[in-house]
Amino acid sequence: MPDATVTPAPAITKPAKISVNRPQYSARLSAAILLAPALGLCAVFIFIPAILAIAGSFFTFGITSRAWEPAGVSNYARILADPIFWTALRNNLIIVVGSVVFQVGIGTILAAILDRGLPRASTVFRTIIFAPMVVSAVAVALIWQVILDPNVGALNAIIKSVGLTPPQLGWLGDPTISIWVVLMIACWQYTGFMMVLILAGLQGIPKELYEAASLDGARGLKAFRHITLPSIRNVLIVAMLITTIGGFKVFDLIYATTQGGPANATQVLGTYIYLQAFNLGNMGYANAISVVLLTIAVMLGWLQLKSSRRA
Amino acid sequence: MKGYSTKGRTGPLTRHVIGAAFGLAVALGVGIPQVANAQEDVTIRMWALTNPNYPEFIAQAAEAFKTTHPNVTIDFQETPNEAYKTAIQVALVGSDPPDVFFNWAGEDSVRLVRDGLVLDISDLAKKPGQFGTALAQSWLDTFSVDGRIYGAPTDAVTKYFYYDNAFFTENKLSVPKTFNELLGLCTAIRAIDPDIVPIPLGNSERWKMNHYITILNERVMGNDVLRADYSLKAPDDQLFTNAGYVAAWGKVLELQKAGCFQDAPNATSPEVSRTMFSSQISPMIFCGSWCMSIFDGEGYTDYSLFRFPPVDGGASDGDSNMVVPQGLQVAAATKHPTEAVEWISFLTSPEQSAKFAEMRGALPSDPSMLSGLQNATAQFKWVAADMASLAVQYNVIDVEVEASVANAYLDAGVEILNGTMTPEQAMASIRTAALAAKAKMK
Repeated sequence: MPDATVTPAPAITKPAKISVNRPQYSARLSAAILLAPALGLCAVFIFIPAILAIAGSFFTFGITSRAWEPAGVSNYARILADPIFWTALRNNLIIVVGSVVFQVGIGTILAAILDRGLPRASTVFRTIIFAPMVVSAVAVALIWQVILDPNVGALNAIIKSVGLTPPQLGWLGDPTISIWVVLMIACWQYTGFMMVLILAGLQGIPKELYEAASLDGARGLKAFRHITLPSIRNVLIVAMLITTIGGFKVFDLIYATTQGGPANATQVLGTYIYLQAFNLGNMGYANAISVVLLTIAVMLGWLQLKSSRRA
Repeated sequence: MKGYSTKGRTGPLTRHVIGAAFGLAVALGVGIPQVANAQEDVTIRMWALTNPNYPEFIAQAAEAFKTTHPNVTIDFQETPNEAYKTAIQVALVGSDPPDVFFNWAGEDSVRLVRDGLVLDISDLAKKPGQFGTALAQSWLDTFSVDGRIYGAPTDAVTKYFYYDNAFFTENKLSVPKTFNELLGLCTAIRAIDPDIVPIPLGNSERWKMNHYITILNERVMGNDVLRADYSLKAPDDQLFTNAGYVAAWGKVLELQKAGCFQDAPNATSPEVSRTMFSSQISPMIFCGSWCMSIFDGEGYTDYSLFRFPPVDGGASDGDSNMVVPQGLQVAAATKHPTEAVEWISFLTSPEQSAKFAEMRGALPSDPSMLSGLQNATAQFKWVAADMASLAVQYNVIDVEVEASVANAYLDAGVEILNGTMTPEQAMASIRTAALAAKAKMK
């Protein structure tokens, strides 16, 4: 048996491995460095306050009191028995449903008109309709307060001039209508934004689809129902989710218009949290309501993510 | 927030003099630690409510203060009412609160004392030349807790009925001496023109009705009855049970029934109601003493004032009024307590009090130089004299009582005016809030 010649196996050189992994490592490091500021800001302004709010909801304390007294789940139990909390939640739901119906609904109609039904000056109309969106909510509230004022407001003057009677307690003073008036103001401000969002979706629909449908006899409303709406389905979902989350987060417009009054008739969760925390000094209870609101917002955010992934 | 600062306003001559003095002291080698300490630059941060002419008043005072305190700079910031209430609470528990800040006397200031956020300045205030030795004891009491001083009262505000002289003369109307005459006055004005709102009420922010009910409670029951309830010291079975409370709300309904107010007071802002008077759409208004400077600033001066009349059969003879003392407190976290107290003492000195009255049209805690004011209006002089003559003064409910009880009172006012709550229901909700607040305090 001849002696076997043993050929040494080629050495596996480490540098070759390093040369493969270095770009990945470098990319990860770059990503971490680039993300760090955003993550840091999120931690400081979102995660840490959220954790503190959750912790604080199990204590009783005031904004200026240094001592935190353990309260167990009593703040959450109080929520269940608090009629104003349920009024606030109901008002949030009214704003959410009303905003989806009116802002997204009217926004879709306006977008369709601007996209297909208005041959000239559509940019001018688009700008006019979008304009309220760029005005701050506080300024919008002040404008509408003047318009709706029962003594010197323009709306009452117009209504009286045509022989009708305005509400005796005032548009913002009557607890039975005030939340609807605030909803109307919100719609006036944000419908333009919805219109622009949906218009972008409409402009992405190929014209050939309409031409083909036209040959098959589908025009006008029929084309809108069978081509336009299915084509912008995902845009509409996003618009509805934005409106829904906005409806739960609403604070500035309500606070500047009615401060939650008259007698809590326009109270929403945002303004009620503010009232409890800063006016009544119940920080623990305000934290508990914040946690409920946070839970709703997180659930809606999750829904939004899920929908956008499906899209 | 708007601000004012005297930072960097020390003149070149002053700087040279200070520098020369310091150099001389160093050369002589005496008193170096004391001189160095005296020359240390100090900035006093001061926060206050936004008010007409107040920044100008503070600016001139800061300049004048520099003559005796050249090393002290005043950094002043003003904030509107509602925002201020939140901002000051957040700032005081933060790491960088203002050294000196505005506050209302009563529960608002006492709560901060309880929470350890306000400095006990009794010893500093009682030093010679400081406000604790100059102001009347009744004024000092407004910012005292358990005999210790926690602030310097600067001024007080109160409420009066303002009326249009020309309208009253033209229609031969006279100032009412009783509550029933006030109702009659409203009826008479409506008879002249049903569209004229006799006393516009802007209750969209809730506090306007709170002023009415504060005074009506006192007029119906007298101040002594109210003390135990407002402080929540009354026994549980008696807390806010006096029939006078319901009667006082009933008086609000009587005013409404007599046509004194417009249809939608809860949808009317305080500013609109004030404008209705100053533009002579309405002949009367129930407004704070601060309204004088607003009306004067708008160029409307043909008005006179009268006190809320006594209620027929009520416990109070009307020789009393709601008076809300206001003042300046020093934050517990301040690094410059001595300079802070010297600054607020300077602001309440007779000379600065006179300037305060002149520039703000408000009534200062030191009235000794008011008689010599050159530019004071006849109305201002009348109010100053009337306030000085009051036998009884009491604070407004929402400053006097615990926050949740105050909130119940504020909501009740809205509901009473809207007709969505009866006086009995209003008092039931207030009593429930009071019992809960009392239980929480235990």
